[in-house]
Amino acid sequence: MQSPFEVLEIEPRFDLDPAALEARHKELSRALHPDRYAGRPASERRMALSKAIEVNEAYRMLRDPIKRAEAVARSRAIPVGETSEPKPDPELLMEMMEAREDLADAGKSKDAKKVESLAASMRAREATVLASLAKAFDAKDDPKILALLGELRYVRRYVDETDALIELFENG
Amino acid sequence: MLLEIFDPKAAPRPIGIDLGTTNSIVARVRDDAPVVIADCNGAWLIPSAVHFDKKGTVMVGEDAMRLAAVDPSSTIVSVKRLMGRGAADPETLRLGTFDFVQAASPEDAKTVRFRAGGRTLTPVEVSAEILRALKKIAEDELQRVGGAVITVPAYFDDAQRQATKDAGRLAGLDVLRLLNEPTAAALAYGLEKKQNGLFAVYDLGGGTFDVTILRLDDGVFEVKSTGGDSALGGDDMDRALANQLLPKILGSDDVANAAPELVRLALDSARKIKHALTDAVEVEVELPVRGDAPAPRFHLTRDQFDALVKPLVDRTGVACRRALRDAGVKPGELDGVILVGGSTRVPLVKTFVAELFGKTPLDDIDPEKVVALGAAIQANVLAGSGSADDVLLLDVLPLSLGIETMGGVAEKILPRNTTIPTGAKQVFTTYADNQTGFDLHVVQGERELAVDCRSLARFTLKGIPPMPAGMARLEVTFTVDVDGLLAVKARELTTQIEQKIDVKPSYGLSDEQVEEMLLAALDHGEGDLAARRLIEERVEAERVVHATKKALAADASLLVEGERADIDAQLASLEKVMAGTSAGAIHAAVELLDASTKAWAGRRMDRAIAAAIAGKRVDSVETSVSEARGVEAHLEDHGKS
Repeated sequence: MQSPFEVLEIEPRFDLDPAALEARHKELSRALHPDRYAGRPASERRMALSKAIEVNEAYRMLRDPIKRAEAVARSRAIPVGETSEPKPDPELLMEMMEAREDLADAGKSKDAKKVESLAASMRAREATVLASLAKAFDAKDDPKILALLGELRYVRRYVDETDALIELFENG
Repeated sequence: MLLEIFDPKAAPRPIGIDLGTTNSIVARVRDDAPVVIADCNGAWLIPSAVHFDKKGTVMVGEDAMRLAAVDPSSTIVSVKRLMGRGAADPETLRLGTFDFVQAASPEDAKTVRFRAGGRTLTPVEVSAEILRALKKIAEDELQRVGGAVITVPAYFDDAQRQATKDAGRLAGLDVLRLLNEPTAAALAYGLEKKQNGLFAVYDLGGGTFDVTILRLDDGVFEVKSTGGDSALGGDDMDRALANQLLPKILGSDDVANAAPELVRLALDSARKIKHALTDAVEVEVELPVRGDAPAPRFHLTRDQFDALVKPLVDRTGVACRRALRDAGVKPGELDGVILVGGSTRVPLVKTFVAELFGKTPLDDIDPEKVVALGAAIQANVLAGSGSADDVLLLDVLPLSLGIETMGGVAEKILPRNTTIPTGAKQVFTTYADNQTGFDLHVVQGERELAVDCRSLARFTLKGIPPMPAGMARLEVTFTVDVDGLLAVKARELTTQIEQKIDVKPSYGLSDEQVEEMLLAALDHGEGDLAARRLIEERVEAERVVHATKKALAADASLLVEGERADIDAQLASLEKVMAGTSAGAIHAAVELLDASTKAWAGRRMDRAIAAAIAGKRVDSVETSVSEARGVEAHLEDHGKS
């Protein structure tokens, strides 16, 4: 199984330039997209399809900060995945629990403004974690990388929940 | 008849089809510009109405529309809303004039059926009649029609897409591709304006609503997100207004028992009033009534109409905001908003869109034509006859794909807005000793519980070798192709046995049912099944010969010793059997040619990738033949065979 970095033939690093990633995806799509093989024999069409799927999958993974961090970690033989990572810091757990309670309250009282503001502050936190994670990868600080990756997972889940709530409010 | 349609001397020309809820259009590219094709009366906007009379005659378009008023239950309109829907679907039970057939079995309930002109019909068959009529219009102008691109709402799910593709096949079309309507519209705009940037496409048609956020960058149209409602459109505005008109037409409030003719009349009047209010700020009409009762007058201002349809228009806002969120885009970052679909002519819709996105929307290409024009461009590109070789459409999966897990939860395996083609692998294990089978339920949608999502298919993995619980490991591969259609494969990992799976779609027709319909369509004078197969094999053979010769001219340098002679020999024998009448022989020769070019095809693909990455022209890239891995290696990598 090739890593997404290998599929897109780019150097494994966490702080990828999004524009460069998008450009590489487009380059490869121009060469591989099944539409380019519309008039070709069946074997070539099949091959283009499976290769294009692989490229799209790699692109999807690398756009997602968590999956990207995991891919970089794997390329450095750092064990990742929810079961092999160390237990989260109790302080972080407490903090997230409180934040979740705030969100649950805002959800129950259908306070869209409150949900939006909780979402905004958690997004700001996500940005900080991403920046620290990039530094930790540069410094090759493995324990720090794993701790931040754990935190990122909590933050991401929280942001997803705020999105789901906002959508729920909008749908009435 | 057969000779005229398949005139071997005429070059087949690709067409684009906008198969709409209310109207359909066929278009093609002429002198590098897309144009709509008109019928013998000069009409290009063909009402999506099909009339079936007792004698078995089928009428499509304006003529059928006229009959809808007098014989509504034998005239099917807005059939697109029923595509891919089951008999018990709430959409089928809404205000309509059809004579629905009660499903006799669960298998029967997988598709809506109605009776018209003494026949029992499915939406696929009715759509096929519309497509057949469009094909005829195109043939009158082009002599011979090649491949077709058919557009579908971006928000159509797997079942609705499959139904559309089946209809194309049933109509005798070579369906090159299903193309999302907003993407088609963006293609028509993008090529005309040659402007790069971030765009929103707001597409409100007769029965469906789509919104798509996409980036256009030097010919690459990359869809960032899409959203919508496949049961919301101008039809619903007509229904809202018709609900007010009907009691007046009836002269009573007994709307539930209104004759279908009168319901049809109310809907038609509502549509006329809606159209009139596009320019006028108020209208007064004389309502039609049955018999010689005095015609009641009805007065409506645009404000009143706006108030009536505002809840519908508001519903589009929810999808728009979600699409923006999914794309991570703020309205201010958009470079333009494109209006598509006849219903965007409604003034309230225009102001709503302008306010929502904060800019004046573009409608300088006719919103009714633009989808068909884009489809024609894409058909041309796919047929290889376009000069627009740099056009590439990167579309997305509109709704998440998931599988039902323990407790009825839908576990997402591919999230919405994933770029297609895409795929996912999931490994399952057995939970009982010596378990030899495994049931899977694939669903589509965003809801938490599988029961709230749209059921796509159920299947059983069989033939797992007897092992203790948890030992067998089943790898299931889900693939979504460029049409947005799902395919499933499975294999047992410890034995590497490819599992035979029988995917049972939850909605729609089975392959066998489509085959039966193809056979039944023989009455339409398309020759017998053998002739049809022969034609299909010849078309494919022509395509392969053409592609191979083109590749030989371009990439002969990548051939290894002996390959050229082998390929030439296979080409010669294929061309020989193509002149004959054996479909089987043609098929076999195509496969032999395919096999002889496989390794070389892999090398060509490797070089194309290297060239793309290096950002150089293909001919300036040096890739030695010995380094190239070939198609077998590629296919092995991806678990295909």
